[in-house]
Amino acid sequence: MDILATLAIVLTPKILGTIFVCTLYGAFVGAMPGLTATMAVALLVPFTWFMDPVQAAAAIVATTTTAIFAGDISGAILKIPGTPASAAYVEDSYRLSQSGKPRTTLFTALFASVCGGVIGVAILAYATPALANLSRSFSSDEAFWLATLGLSCAVLVGGPSVPRNFASLFIGLAIATIGIDVAVGHPRFTFGNIELYDGVSFIPAMIGMFALSELLRNAAVGHQTPLVKLTVEPLLQAITAAGRSFLQHWKNILRSASGGTVIGALPGAGADVAAWIAYAVSRRFSKSPEAFGRGHIEGIVDGGAANNAAVAGAWTPALVFGIPGDSVTAIAIGVLMMKGLTPGPDIFNTDAVLVYTIFGSFLIANIMMLVTGGLAVALATQVLRVPRAVLMPLILLLAMIGGFAITGSTLAIWIILALGLLASVMIWSQIPLAPAILGIVLGRIVEDNFMVSMMKARGDLTEFFARDTAAVLGALTLMIWAVLIYRALRSFFQTQTPSK
Amino acid sequence: MQIRRDLIVGAALTALAIAMIIQTQGFPRIRAMPYGPDLFPRIIAGGLILSAIGIVMEGLRSLRIKAAQDDTQVSPTSAYGAFAFVAIAALVAGFALLLPVMGFHIAAALVVLLAVPIFGGNILLALVLATVAPVVLHYVFYSLMRVVLPWGWLTPYAW
Repeated sequence: MDILATLAIVLTPKILGTIFVCTLYGAFVGAMPGLTATMAVALLVPFTWFMDPVQAAAAIVATTTTAIFAGDISGAILKIPGTPASAAYVEDSYRLSQSGKPRTTLFTALFASVCGGVIGVAILAYATPALANLSRSFSSDEAFWLATLGLSCAVLVGGPSVPRNFASLFIGLAIATIGIDVAVGHPRFTFGNIELYDGVSFIPAMIGMFALSELLRNAAVGHQTPLVKLTVEPLLQAITAAGRSFLQHWKNILRSASGGTVIGALPGAGADVAAWIAYAVSRRFSKSPEAFGRGHIEGIVDGGAANNAAVAGAWTPALVFGIPGDSVTAIAIGVLMMKGLTPGPDIFNTDAVLVYTIFGSFLIANIMMLVTGGLAVALATQVLRVPRAVLMPLILLLAMIGGFAITGSTLAIWIILALGLLASVMIWSQIPLAPAILGIVLGRIVEDNFMVSMMKARGDLTEFFARDTAAVLGALTLMIWAVLIYRALRSFFQTQTPSK
Repeated sequence: MQIRRDLIVGAALTALAIAMIIQTQGFPRIRAMPYGPDLFPRIIAGGLILSAIGIVMEGLRSLRIKAAQDDTQVSPTSAYGAFAFVAIAALVAGFALLLPVMGFHIAAALVVLLAVPIFGGNILLALVLATVAPVVLHYVFYSLMRVVLPWGWLTPYAW
């Protein structure tokens, strides 16, 4: 499928309109402190239910892309990152804003984000078909190892504590075992509730873990967004200065965007990890590393390019292997499955239009973000004044109706409540959420393939390594486990204070 | 204190694992198949127990090096914070119970009416939002998106 055919699908009023509205929505949600890009997508899902698959994918892509950038806005103005992906360079962006350059800082971040996103989608479009070709010959052995490798990567990059990352993963896998078992068709952990036979509905689970847990945290902590008093530059002057800064740092953008795409493709390592790593690399290679953290634009350029590139990168394993690169693509896989589409190597044969539309949507969303993101920057101080007492109750109501709309049953609301409380307990316990999400998404895939391989091998575990690709994937997985065990043991026997 | 939290988390994870193992004992087996529906949940339960041991060991280490720092973000720091947390959770449970009985408009209005003051808004704002939000959301979901939202007590006026 060539680029003109792809653009012909994307450049229709319906898709363009969807992308435009969703970039505005993403800009608003991303800019609000405490509302993450994942939450924006989770709340969008009920609406995608009523869209065709192409439109739904475009909506998710456009929302995420802009929300990740818009997280910079509240970071720069309030020192509260709108999304975790903006946390790496929040000190720099805030200090620059305080020095009278909020718009220049944000427009520089916008240009870096757009460029990072475009580079990310270029790599995505190039790498995805090649990987799909490679994975066409996969049997249950490779599928099992690949999913396990994805889960292991999520544990590896999930957080500083290996046991907590593992705990999160196993909690997610435990949730995935609820429902009819694949081996003999026996209902497990359903407690007689027939509605649970199909398992825990994915979308209410996501809404609970991301939206309700945030609402509960907001209610408990009780932060009120402070009113903004800031000196802002004239718009044109800010755009010109940002353009100059962008051109000065083109090498940084190229480096961080390509690195961010690769990091984004690792399951569990989302835009936030990409931004932190890009920021650290930028500091390492900078001519003025001492200025980092004191209001230096270089880290913002690198982090901004990397986190938006990672958004595209996360779609590579999601489309080719059905293994989400981050929480957003985990939700996207859920949406595609609800619409009868199964991500995997054959998606290029069965749903090529959809895949190329996703590529096209990324491109258009990034270009459109120049306008909608710019608008959000120009109106930033007003956007941040929406009272919490208005926003939070509406989000609460929307979250509950969203869950109900998907299943048509109040069980969805109970799932939202149960998983929202579970996520709150996990946050209190310092257990990260991302591995659990991947566990919920991949649990069935891992178990199905594991059982098939066990039956084929009659319990002989060496058979899991009998095929070449399976052996490589299995060895990689075991290596990651070895690294994790080593990290956990080293951490336990270390005598000095652990670094955060 | 970190060690206390780690002990609680470790105990909770172990309890969950034991509950899973006990439940799997009732799962059926087919004679021709050496592996049944209990295998995977038991592996997961084993993983949960190992994770619990690791978390407790981390807690012991933090005790040893006296570097434990409480950086919890969600823990309610005030009595009001705790109340707000429980109240929002109760509102969700209440909505699930009342939605089929009272219908969407009334249940949603009640949720908004009670949620606005919890998030720091005044009663006037609560009244305005509780009147407008259910109507707008009902229009979007019921009329535009064709989601079958229950009418409950307002069924005689349904369209």
